[in-house]
Amino acid sequence: MTHLLVVGQGLAGLFAANLALRKGLRVTLISQGRGGLSLSPGCLDLGRTAASLPSQHPYRSAGLQNLPAAVDAFRELLLLEGIEFLGNPDVSMTLPTAAGRLRHTHLVPRSMALGHFDAEARMVIAGFDGFRDFDAGLVGDGIRRAGWPAQSISLPLPGEARRDLYSTDLARRFERAWTPEQLSSLWGPRLGKTALLGLPAVLGLDHAPETHLALERSLGVGIFEIPTLPPSVPGLRLERALRRRSLQGGGRLIEGPTVVGRVDGRSGGGRVLGVVAATSAGPRAFQADAVILATGGFLNGGLRADRAGRVADSVFDLPVEAASDRGEWLGDGCLGYHPYDLFGLRVNEHMQPIDRQGRVFFDNLFACGGVLGGADRRGEKSRQGIDLLTAYAAVHSVAP
Amino acid sequence: MSHHSTQLLVIGGGATGLGVAWDACLRGVEVVVVEQGDLGQGTSGRYHGLLHSGARYVISDPSSARACARENERLRRLAPHTIEDTGGLFVSTSHDPADFPDAWLAACRACGVSVEECSPASARRDEPLLTPHVARAFRVRDAALDSFDLLHALAAAVSDAGGTVLLRHRLDRLTPRANGFLAAITAPESTVVHIEAQAVVNAAGPFAGRVADLAGVSLPLALGRGTMVAMATRLVNTVINRCKPPSDGDIIVPVGTVSVLGTTDTPTNSPEDVHIDPWEVDALLDEASILLPGIESHRALRAWAGIRPLYRPPDAPRMETRDLPRAHALIDHGARGGPQAFVTIIGGKLTTYRQMAEETVDLVCRHLGLEAASRTASTPLDPARRDYHRLPLRLERHSRPAVDDHSPVVCECELVTERELTDALRSTPTHELDDLRRDLRIGMGPCQAGFCAYRAAALLTQTQHPQAGLTAVAAFLNERWRGLRPLTWGYALRQHELTRRIYQDLLDVDAGAAPES
Repeated sequence: MTHLLVVGQGLAGLFAANLALRKGLRVTLISQGRGGLSLSPGCLDLGRTAASLPSQHPYRSAGLQNLPAAVDAFRELLLLEGIEFLGNPDVSMTLPTAAGRLRHTHLVPRSMALGHFDAEARMVIAGFDGFRDFDAGLVGDGIRRAGWPAQSISLPLPGEARRDLYSTDLARRFERAWTPEQLSSLWGPRLGKTALLGLPAVLGLDHAPETHLALERSLGVGIFEIPTLPPSVPGLRLERALRRRSLQGGGRLIEGPTVVGRVDGRSGGGRVLGVVAATSAGPRAFQADAVILATGGFLNGGLRADRAGRVADSVFDLPVEAASDRGEWLGDGCLGYHPYDLFGLRVNEHMQPIDRQGRVFFDNLFACGGVLGGADRRGEKSRQGIDLLTAYAAVHSVAP
Repeated sequence: MSHHSTQLLVIGGGATGLGVAWDACLRGVEVVVVEQGDLGQGTSGRYHGLLHSGARYVISDPSSARACARENERLRRLAPHTIEDTGGLFVSTSHDPADFPDAWLAACRACGVSVEECSPASARRDEPLLTPHVARAFRVRDAALDSFDLLHALAAAVSDAGGTVLLRHRLDRLTPRANGFLAAITAPESTVVHIEAQAVVNAAGPFAGRVADLAGVSLPLALGRGTMVAMATRLVNTVINRCKPPSDGDIIVPVGTVSVLGTTDTPTNSPEDVHIDPWEVDALLDEASILLPGIESHRALRAWAGIRPLYRPPDAPRMETRDLPRAHALIDHGARGGPQAFVTIIGGKLTTYRQMAEETVDLVCRHLGLEAASRTASTPLDPARRDYHRLPLRLERHSRPAVDDHSPVVCECELVTERELTDALRSTPTHELDDLRRDLRIGMGPCQAGFCAYRAAALLTQTQHPQAGLTAVAAFLNERWRGLRPLTWGYALRQHELTRRIYQDLLDVDAGAAPES
């Protein structure tokens, strides 16, 4: 049985591990930390500019025609965990953010879907007293500025006032401590004839769909969630569901160690043996027949850049093309495009990292997700599309 | 349009200007200070945080060294709440000229700068990250001085003594008249203020040349841009100096929770030129890694630059700014054919601000025909007026199980609560989060406003400025980004990515929400 080692547990790594398990592979998922899903709005951005894809774009390497199949596989997987995604890969939806901007995306979990701007419904946006990571005023302002009616209110939470509230604390309380009856008697009088209520996305963690539905029924209003400042609960729900799924499927999960790639010297350097993890008991080798790098970009540690201007992947130290003058990596403002957004590994159609001349570094090394270069994920709104499609393609290369 | 009249008008609200005002107040002189920006926005707020022992200047500028040594001891008594007595080390490494320490030691003795040689082993026991290649080590009376706290203490003292400090007031015209001056000043919201004054002190630091121009006199300045880098943690607990002739990157100062690497010195023509070149950051880190090998593996938090204003006497050769005397210059323009009772005080060190103020007000009093002696050397600055922001104090307060205090934390890095922020918003009418930062330290910790910008903007929008919203967020992030930009590799790049992930991906706040920079 092929033993696959997946490095990284963000969206791409967790999806790849699950796909590989479904194909009957033996899978070890090894990760230094948590992946990037706690920073994810929990929606799927599938931005596509097929006509003008640059030659290095991961969509091109992975085969854009496979995006619907990858997305379907993802939806099926999450449905098994009770998370239903609504929408259509070809049509964008527009949802409010916690800053009151109207954000375009493609597929959204059911709990957010009513926030899509397609009806003349009067929205009430509600924050929670003392919760700073979601401001109903900013959201309402933004929606009104875009020409839609919206009202902003703040709702009390059951129990005594607490000093510092975080999204995950609230999510657990909504799931385990507070009953829908309790909440509707507290909130009912404030809501009046509200038909559509936007709340911070903290309605449950592992049983969110049930929590959401029960609250809607008890209040008699349609409720949609809006992601908050991190940790972003809708992203965490995906992380937890995908982890549960991979563990149930027989995957092995090793969290914590920093890993360094191991190369087979005897094969002339053409294959990798696996990775060596730094553990408290010293270095420990993990052997595998194939390795998928799903280590993420600069933020998540898959890519690193030093002061001298050298950029490389952090596990196998594969070189990444970058201007040697650091000043050229950056745009002018903080927010907006920065040229380093395009930095990352180049891959061929099998998702094998390649050098500048197009030569494969190692026959049994594959890469997917944020560690890949060539895409302006923010500008294109393609982050999750790239994660899902490249993970799908990498697994397909390991086990056709 | 409003109209004031006063005996003394001080232009510039840095340590020098506020020091002059405080000295004048204590002598019973009526005083108004106008500062074009906020407290700490200029050179006084953009320094490395060092209370000089004087040892740095014993060879290059002995009179500055003497003044620093004297004023150091005075400030420790007068404003202890602004000082952390870290002590300082001068360290000669195997990279440094071996004959320098003896010459330097003799010069310290000649200048009355307190110094004591210690064994390299004892220096390394105190500072374990110090290089093993310490040839000789010396203990001096350096300390960390929080200039924000000092400026606030001085401004509060001036106000309490009946003086007036006007922030965000920019001098537009200064017209000499029969018995003094008429100043036209632009105040916030573009209103105009007229101030009649019998005497004017130009303490505008790098902007002093422009102020002199307004009064119709020429003031040749040499401006030097100094860059500093703050490492995100306290790598040393003692000020560490390289024992060699002054050069780029010769000092590390522990300030609060960070360590500041200082300083470069690059000539510039503009008082507003606080840009940072990559080579400056490289030079600071390369030099610092000689003192603390492995410093590169620690996180660089932020870089900033300040403008050193030095007076270039008309007869001085075109020398490097680093070699110009650090001693201050007090210029009586009336004695040189300019307007009477117009005085410029320029240069010097933050450490010697009090002495500079005393000399300046002595001269002003002669012009005003007053006989009153300076009292600043014996009058402490009252610490009670302000809540001095020390992270340990905030932590202590925050962990107290106060039943009546449920104010949520807005900035976790510096433990700033919602209540502190709303109080500050009430007393500081501003629509810029950066003004709150200088007062409260929001956004100055490791996340560099990544989390608090949203929360603080929400509060600002609710309580004061319904229009602030995302514009305030983007402006604050852009201001913080200026300090991260020169450090964008390794950890700072990750931090920048985290901020972008939050604002661009989760909140969809893009560059379009930012005001024109």
